[in-house]
Amino acid sequence: MVDADDRSGRGESVDVVIVGAGASGSVAALRLARAGFSVVCLEQGGWTDPSAFPGSKLEFELLAPKTWHPNPNVRGRPSDYPCETSDSDVNPLMWSGVGGSTILWAAHWVRMLPSDFRVRTLDGVADDWPFSYEELLPYYQECEKEWAVSGLGGDPAYPDGAHMPLPPLPIGKAGRRAGEGLDELGWHWWPGSNAIASRQYGNLHPCGLRGTCLTGCPDRAKASTDLTHWPAAVEAGVRLVTGARVREITVNGKGLATGATYIDRDGHEHHQAAEVVIVCANGVGTPRLLQLSTSSRFPDGLGNSSGLVGKRLMMHPYAAVVGFYDEPLESWLGPAGQLIQSLHFYETDESRGFVRGAKWQVMPTGGPLGLRAGYGGAPLEDRFGQALHHNLQEQLGRGFEWGLIAEDLPEQSNYVTLDTELKDSDRIPAPKIVYRNSDNTRAMLGFHLARAQEAHEAAGARKTVETKLMRDCGWHLMGTCMMGNDPATSVVDQWGGAHDVPNLYVYDGSVFPTSAGANPTATLAAVALRCVKHLIETRHNQEVPA
Amino acid sequence: MTLDETQRATFSVLADVLVPATDQMPAASEVDISGSGLDRVLRARPDLEAPLVRVLADGASSDPTARIRNMQQEDPAGFEALALAATGGYYTEGRVRDLIGYPGQTYDASRVEIPDIDSSDPMLQRVIARGSFYRPTPSNSGEEKRANVS
Repeated sequence: MVDADDRSGRGESVDVVIVGAGASGSVAALRLARAGFSVVCLEQGGWTDPSAFPGSKLEFELLAPKTWHPNPNVRGRPSDYPCETSDSDVNPLMWSGVGGSTILWAAHWVRMLPSDFRVRTLDGVADDWPFSYEELLPYYQECEKEWAVSGLGGDPAYPDGAHMPLPPLPIGKAGRRAGEGLDELGWHWWPGSNAIASRQYGNLHPCGLRGTCLTGCPDRAKASTDLTHWPAAVEAGVRLVTGARVREITVNGKGLATGATYIDRDGHEHHQAAEVVIVCANGVGTPRLLQLSTSSRFPDGLGNSSGLVGKRLMMHPYAAVVGFYDEPLESWLGPAGQLIQSLHFYETDESRGFVRGAKWQVMPTGGPLGLRAGYGGAPLEDRFGQALHHNLQEQLGRGFEWGLIAEDLPEQSNYVTLDTELKDSDRIPAPKIVYRNSDNTRAMLGFHLARAQEAHEAAGARKTVETKLMRDCGWHLMGTCMMGNDPATSVVDQWGGAHDVPNLYVYDGSVFPTSAGANPTATLAAVALRCVKHLIETRHNQEVPA
Repeated sequence: MTLDETQRATFSVLADVLVPATDQMPAASEVDISGSGLDRVLRARPDLEAPLVRVLADGASSDPTARIRNMQQEDPAGFEALALAATGGYYTEGRVRDLIGYPGQTYDASRVEIPDIDSSDPMLQRVIARGSFYRPTPSNSGEEKRANVS
């Protein structure tokens, strides 16, 4: 039963309700409030106190793989919802809470390249985006200031050199050693850009290279939107409701969205009425919510006349080659974060037997327990006893990872649907993930792994360890509410507006027509910014429920 | 913590199989692995307690190595819990960290004050000299290329 009034006593209709306080929801909320809109944001998780992050604790490496694991099925916090993954090659990763997955992200800030927006035109596969790199560029640049991006300008991989507002973070001994390998081979590389402050910047403190970015930054140096956006958004008037798990977007008889029904942490149900609904619940949570929002008018889920809600899931298969070297590299130091990156094999070369490519980055290898993860399943005598001490002496602080982010192409056989049995703690059906790597992806990963081996050899590695596909790599959840011009072949238009529901918008990674081979948050933020600015500019033409 | 003295004694014996002494390094039992080490682990990871209780239930064995091999086959989850508790307790001990030269994950803002690379670096100069390689936005996106891959 829905309570007649919001328990806070402020249940009146608002201009906009946003579902999800992660990257895209943060960008939208801040802009809308500053433009004078009344905004409520519903977030199923809560705030995370940076002092709770494990990176500054002695037991960091014990806490990281459980309490702060990016896989909600492993973590199992009350704010998480489970994901059914038995038919997936990869586990989706996320964080439910204010800031969303930016709480745990690695903060790699990587713009897509011009070709990424014209995949169909240039490579004959998948789809073009409804706008170009050049059209998105000013939004990238505006976001880079908000997200405290540190980096070195002048990278010839980008048309404009990709200049960032803050100086680059150090590449360290590991980054320099990796760069020397690519220098030997004549391959592209460049110091990594990271949404991590290299100087005091707004609410962010300067990074101290603690190297625990992936479990939250206890030093408040990493740009997570609970720090970069939400304080200003709340000050501008956004009402952020935490512990609010949305189970349905409601509609009226005219097919317009009327708001969102959510369940609080005491199990009470509420309805937040709004003239506009923006869903920013990530590439799994957004299609799940639209699929849950069925009605006589929308029996297959909201905004799903194309049948594409939940389809075309892309998660960026991730492979890696770790190399170990004779000299000390201090490879527990951050950022983690990326030290350097390479786009040498990013563009299509059909002679390789596949289309599209991958971005590479160097990341540190961490402390003694992190190193142990690479030995899972090995015989006892290879992992423990004298071998434990020998391996540690050879490897601790002497390695780095070439990580490979491979572009997977959108396929309707990879999708998010509602599981028939698994439910979250509010008895709402959980998402089921069906995801398999294609022949193109497997060929791409094989090629890049071989080149990464060569890169380590050129840099003088004594030993390498290869991970052909990391199962816990689904950080990048994209494609499940595709953006496009044709309502028959896409879910939303280029402004994130649902083709079927005039006042329903999707701003998160769900809208990506293709995944590119780049970490998506820079593009996700820029797209959300472009969309919300358009919504603000066209507010007087917006159709809303009576 | 609920592990009793018998269970802790068994843990110490098994931990020494996984983390034995060398010329330079102490065995797990030499750094109080079954006392402060195990307490530290279980405070951080209470989820390990149940599998540890399970694998420690039978007490010490006359052949702890064989016992662990058997455990690895028959109760891999229990084995991994034992291994994580032993190595986790060991590598969070100050003396061990000093010996392996690992300072932990530490913060030092002075590390970022001066960038350690800029575009005048000879290696980056060579990257710049090799020039751009991106594919620019096509002037006419309407002319689609038809490839064999769909």
